Amino acid sequence: MSAAAQRLGWVASGALVPALTLASPGLLQLGGVGPAWSVLWLLPWALVEGPGSGALAGLALALVLDGLHLGPVSEIPALVVLGWWWGRLGRKGLPIERSFSLGLLALLGAALLGLSVILQAAWLGQLTAPVLYTWLAQTLLTALLAPMVCSLLLLAWRQRRAGARS
Amino acid sequence: MQAGRRLRLPPLRLVLQAWPWALLLLALLAVRLSKGAGFADAYAFLSRPFWPGTAQGDWVRQAQRLEDQTRLRQLSADNARLRELLQLRGQSQAERQAPVIAREAGGWWHQLVIGQGAMQGVAPGDPVLAPGGLIGRVASVTPTTATVALLTDRSSHLGVWVARTQQHGLLTGLGTSRPVLRFLEKDPGVRPGDVVLTSPASTLVPANIPVGVIQSLNPFASPAPEAVVQLIARADAVDWVTLLHPVARP
Repeated sequence: MSAAAQRLGWVASGALVPALTLASPGLLQLGGVGPAWSVLWLLPWALVEGPGSGALAGLALALVLDGLHLGPVSEIPALVVLGWWWGRLGRKGLPIERSFSLGLLALLGAALLGLSVILQAAWLGQLTAPVLYTWLAQTLLTALLAPMVCSLLLLAWRQRRAGARS
Repeated sequence: MQAGRRLRLPPLRLVLQAWPWALLLLALLAVRLSKGAGFADAYAFLSRPFWPGTAQGDWVRQAQRLEDQTRLRQLSADNARLRELLQLRGQSQAERQAPVIAREAGGWWHQLVIGQGAMQGVAPGDPVLAPGGLIGRVASVTPTTATVALLTDRSSHLGVWVARTQQHGLLTGLGTSRPVLRFLEKDPGVRPGDVVLTSPASTLVPANIPVGVIQSLNPFASPAPEAVVQLIARADAVDWVTLLHPVARP
């Protein structure tokens, strides 16, 4: 398989994010709240590909997810910022690969994503008390899954980059 | 019998010999005074294997359900005919079934995705029912799918009423499994257990579709009382839904 085709395959893996969001597997839910699949995919992608590609991937993911969800609340601001920030982290210093670091970054990312949704809901006058529960549940679940999911994706994409360079 | 004969008491020996009979008489007297308690209970215990089985109870309940359904169908037909005569609604509703292909009943959005869309005639605003009652309305459609905004979604607002007291209110989703019903009047006179139906005044959905049951009431809410409503239909468990689609009257 050529490098371009392989790269296209990895980009297409982003399609898993809306698919998993729609499927929302019951086993991976906490009190009916699922993880932020977009964060789990975007974190390793941005760490490997850098800030520009991370921000673009965040924008693309958010556009699809906004289309699938109801209402005017958007995930674009949070995912673009996260993609850019994680891309910068990946380019600076030592590579991030420890499970704790990935979990912590995913926790911060899911928290920022939830905060962005809450602020927009408040702006639209749709803020209700139970959002705190949803925010906490999604943040915790995303952080718990990140060491498993992000580690595998990070390993695969780093191997792919190393193979492409050699 | 000679006059003036003295009354003779039975000998003490005979009285002592008859004490078991006296006890029996006392026991029977107790049975009489207790309305046959011991005998009835003993009879119930012994005859329990021969009591009417659950099958007979099921037959009775099944017949009752059949009768209820027949009456309901008849009343619905009468209601539709009378509403048509009064020109309360210009369109009748056709039903169609659709499978649920994705659901998000928790989290930031409360929505379902169903496997029928614009190509099958589904349109935004169509009411969506599940076994038990209304669960939401179609919010957007694609050629082959439709997204349903559940009544529990924060963007959901629906006019409903409590038929018992004929008090109207606005059912608003909170992002939890139980929406809140905000009444329009200060003293709605409702109580927990009252059934909430879609309002006859609503132009969004057909009238009198069951929605939920009032679970608790906050009479001190401002500016008007509020009630927490437990929805009858379970959106997180349903696999098929019924779509109501307006059909133009000939």
